[in-house]
Amino acid sequence: MTVIDRIPVTTARRTWRPGLVLSFAFLIVVVLAALVPHLFTHVDPDAADPAATLLGPGGGHPLGTDQNGRDLFARIVHGAAPSLLIGLGASALGLAAGTVLGVLAAQSGRIGDELVSRLLDVLLSIPGLLLVILVVAVLGAGTGTSVVGLAVIVAPANARLVRGEILRIRGSAFVEAAHALGWPRWQVVLRHVVPNAVGPVLVLATISVGGTISAGASLSFLGLGPQPPTAEWGAMLAASRDYFAVAWWPAIFPGLALTATVLAITVTGGYLQQRLEGRAGR
Amino acid sequence: MSVSRRSGFAVATAASLTLVLAACGSSGSGATGSAGSPVSGGTLTYAINTDADCLDPHQSPADVAGFFARPILDSLVALDPGGKILPWLAKSWTVSADGRAYTFNLRDDVTFSDGEAFDAAAVKANFDHVVNPKTQSKLAAGTIPTYTGARVIDPHTVEIDLSQPSSAFLPAVATAYLGIEAPSTLAGDPKALCGKIVGTGPFVSADGYTPQKGISYTRRNDYKWPAGTAKHQGPAYLDRLDIQVVTENSSRLGALTSGQVDAIASVPPVNVAQLKANPGFQIQTAQAPGGNYSYYPNTQSGPFADIRVRQAFRSGIDWDTIVSKLYFGVFQPAKNPLAPSTVDYDKTVEPSYAYDPAKANQLLDQAGWTGRDAQGYRTKDGVRLTLVHPFLQAYVREQRDVLADQLQAAAKQLGIEIKNQNVDYGTYLKLLATPEGHDLGDFSWQRASPDALRTLFGSANIATPQSGFGTNQARYDNPAVDKYLADALTTGDPRQQADLYAKAQQQITADAAVFPVYVFNYVVGAAKKVQGITFEPQAFPTFYDTWLAQQ
Amino acid sequence: MTTVAPVRVATARRAGSTARAIGRRVLTSVLVLWGAVTLAFLALHLIPGNTVDAVAGGTTQVTPQLRAQITAEYSLDRPLVVQYLQYLGKLVRGDLGDSYALRMPVAKAIGQQLGSTMILLVTATVFAILVSVVIALLTAHRRRWIRGLFSGLEVTGVAVPAFWLGILLLTVFSFQLHWFPAIGSAGIAGLVLPALTLSAAPIGMLTQVLRQGLERVLDEPFVVTARSRGISEAAVRLRHVLRHAVLPVITLAGWLAGTMIGGAVVVEQVFSRQGLGRLTVNAVGHKDMPLVLGIVLIAALFYVLVNIAIDVAYRLIDPRLRSEDTTR
Repeated sequence: MTVIDRIPVTTARRTWRPGLVLSFAFLIVVVLAALVPHLFTHVDPDAADPAATLLGPGGGHPLGTDQNGRDLFARIVHGAAPSLLIGLGASALGLAAGTVLGVLAAQSGRIGDELVSRLLDVLLSIPGLLLVILVVAVLGAGTGTSVVGLAVIVAPANARLVRGEILRIRGSAFVEAAHALGWPRWQVVLRHVVPNAVGPVLVLATISVGGTISAGASLSFLGLGPQPPTAEWGAMLAASRDYFAVAWWPAIFPGLALTATVLAITVTGGYLQQRLEGRAGR
Repeated sequence: MSVSRRSGFAVATAASLTLVLAACGSSGSGATGSAGSPVSGGTLTYAINTDADCLDPHQSPADVAGFFARPILDSLVALDPGGKILPWLAKSWTVSADGRAYTFNLRDDVTFSDGEAFDAAAVKANFDHVVNPKTQSKLAAGTIPTYTGARVIDPHTVEIDLSQPSSAFLPAVATAYLGIEAPSTLAGDPKALCGKIVGTGPFVSADGYTPQKGISYTRRNDYKWPAGTAKHQGPAYLDRLDIQVVTENSSRLGALTSGQVDAIASVPPVNVAQLKANPGFQIQTAQAPGGNYSYYPNTQSGPFADIRVRQAFRSGIDWDTIVSKLYFGVFQPAKNPLAPSTVDYDKTVEPSYAYDPAKANQLLDQAGWTGRDAQGYRTKDGVRLTLVHPFLQAYVREQRDVLADQLQAAAKQLGIEIKNQNVDYGTYLKLLATPEGHDLGDFSWQRASPDALRTLFGSANIATPQSGFGTNQARYDNPAVDKYLADALTTGDPRQQADLYAKAQQQITADAAVFPVYVFNYVVGAAKKVQGITFEPQAFPTFYDTWLAQQ
Repeated sequence: MTTVAPVRVATARRAGSTARAIGRRVLTSVLVLWGAVTLAFLALHLIPGNTVDAVAGGTTQVTPQLRAQITAEYSLDRPLVVQYLQYLGKLVRGDLGDSYALRMPVAKAIGQQLGSTMILLVTATVFAILVSVVIALLTAHRRRWIRGLFSGLEVTGVAVPAFWLGILLLTVFSFQLHWFPAIGSAGIAGLVLPALTLSAAPIGMLTQVLRQGLERVLDEPFVVTARSRGISEAAVRLRHVLRHAVLPVITLAGWLAGTMIGGAVVVEQVFSRQGLGRLTVNAVGHKDMPLVLGIVLIAALFYVLVNIAIDVAYRLIDPRLRSEDTTR
């Protein structure tokens, strides 16, 4: 399982980027599908029909039906929400937890720093997927658990970055000035240091959304993600693989949706990263 | 959901046992059986879908351990497809008048592959090993609960004593779970046997079994004591037998069609037609007797405590259509607590399992589930008609998860909500061990005997927090049925036995204590050149008579 | 430089003497291992269900005698703290205990699967590094459409879920074309598709980082000087530029190792390979405590070793770090 924290998009500064425009447009469509699926389809994604299983694309089912006779297009549209929820939720939770840990490490003295840093080491030393599997085993499989489990993977990286940023900013002139003015330590940290440290971490979190969506799908593949009948792209792919020899569509379309979404987030995120770093004068 | 990868061992009564062997190769291209006379030589590679974890069938909880161990281990007696007990390592046997002592007269020309002689002491050592607490037998010991001890009468005569007569004893002895291992290997740490066992069988495995990988066997050339059920004498035909564990359905099929393996277990039903249409391959099926793959309502608590709700669920769901569409005719819909190939199967209860949605809705109305909530589910006193169905995703096979989804959709039509909960093993046991923990359970229990009814519906098999898994998932407690089943086990009269089992099936059906889904078939897919795969009563394939046709 | 965050960048405050640095390193490594095992031990005990049931496994009804036997054998009636200390005590003596489900020593169970996983990891890693270096060398500062094409491929490689890619490759190249075996862990042919699947995302990632590094170095004055001396473009790239561009890739090594291990779980499943990944999933499912702890320990040890290797590599490649050490 790959949770990528930072994607170096090397496309240099150019004015017209069809890839970026396409990605952004596609993301808007995906977000719309997640928020208002009824814009795209009125078919019930969970309506099984044993008499209409594995129908090919075309006719009443634009993308065909799955092994339960459910409309594939409706399931892909409705699958946008759980996939995005896992990606955004895990990234946000990972960001929050990482920030708290990072601030704790940077602000609680040598011993505290050492404790938190070693804890992060421990979390990083256990392979991410094994960590999630353990979390799922303890909490039980489901969408919420996926979010928590993936956040546990993402958090240590964020914490490291926050800690590093705080240490850097703390040494900067304006913070020293604030101290010189006699401001309380925690006030300086909360008002000035943390807000400045969070910027780069925010970028990292944005980009990690794509990775967490992908990782969430892997979790579903292992049967540890959102539970049936939830239409979730990874789970749909996992269920379709036994039928690939007789029906390719349930194994192809959700995969395309998943890949395109992660791709779009990556490209858009990379652009945002460049803009932010550019503004920071790097 | 399905827990049966670790369950469903076969113990047959002495009466008849139907084994449906159907070679379904496409016609005109030298179908099975007409490929000439058997020839020796070659390696058969077989891909199986489940892992055994521990090879030693004396201690493993996995029924598939019996499959892995069978090429290495012989049994005292054999069970033929007609349900008759035939000689194997025992030439003959006598039963005492009170039915509590079995005296086996053993062959004197048998040796273990490590050179040890097979004798009465070896038999005693094996039975004692199975029941020794240190062995921690999770399955085998349970098949001989009445065993009290063994006595060596002379080097080739051994007496086995039971606490009470049991018609299930000899069939149990015939299974690989009570296969005979070399006594010298039984003396040490039982754990060592999980990787490697030594027996008197037609094959030996030098390297033993590796979890997730499988096991390789080579032929034993001095083998000359096959089971009474065998189709030839002398050593096995195959030089070598490789069994690989391949859990991915599509990969197993791909390995067969690309020629990487010669035969595979558990062909996915969706691919059976495809394989049949291909002239290079054949499909063999063996119908397993015993319990079907069924859903069981919790008759003690929740909505299903009301018999009308159980009856409504039974007749309100179109089980036939779901099963035939999902399994493409490979598995037939079940209409009885037992599989049709089981002895004393009672056909008269079948009409009770017909689809009748009008009656179902009427029954639900009568039961007071007359309200409807915003999502269309039935309610009573404002409470939604919800059924909790815990299952184990890790044990799912044969697309039972897909089936669960379809069932959920079908129940919604009736206004019933099913909550399929994928839980971990510990939670699963906990939910099933209390009356309030669940409303639906599902599993299959193959067993070559109508005594499967006692396993599935006997009140002694209701799970408690202390018992771990309980096979009576319906938590069905009917003293009348308990008595039918107990009497059937000890009566010597086959007609009386048939009558008692028929009564039990009728009463269980009247109480709507089971929702039978499909009859389990063991489906083997093989290349055309593979000949003579036979099946043991619990429908696991065996390879002693298997040979490879020259091409 | 582009950083990938889960990487232990080896710039921690170091003590003056090398010996103290090593001592500290060993101490923190042991601490990390201990922490990982402790965390996993606690997590496993939080999993619902009775351990006796997990040991008994299966769907057989457990007799009271069997329960008692299991309880006694694995000391399950002792308080958690005692069980924990017993485990640590055995661990210190090098005993990982016996697997509940497999009924064999954990060391043996892991040993049986480790080889297959390591071969897959090493092959995929070497393949990923080779391919990335080649692509990056060939495409850095090249024509726009070439870069654009490869950039697109790289980002796609990162975005495609490994398990889906694996299923697609398997279906096309194994089931349909029969070029590669469909199952099994043996032989080189059986390694091609799994390694390809496992390395797709790393290749996409590494190539981009490497190319960025190359392009930065290619603009440096010393490159211009080299070119002006009439050295061929290929020689410039290979001899002078690559060495400098490799540093960020080493930074990625830790991330790479983690990604590969995680990916192996999924890839082993898709390709029906034996290995630690599948063992892990099954072990957690069975609440097979000794086995899971053993796997956690191995993985953490691997992590620690990789990070030490990264530090060493840094010092070898970038002499400034060595001098930095002595000045601080």
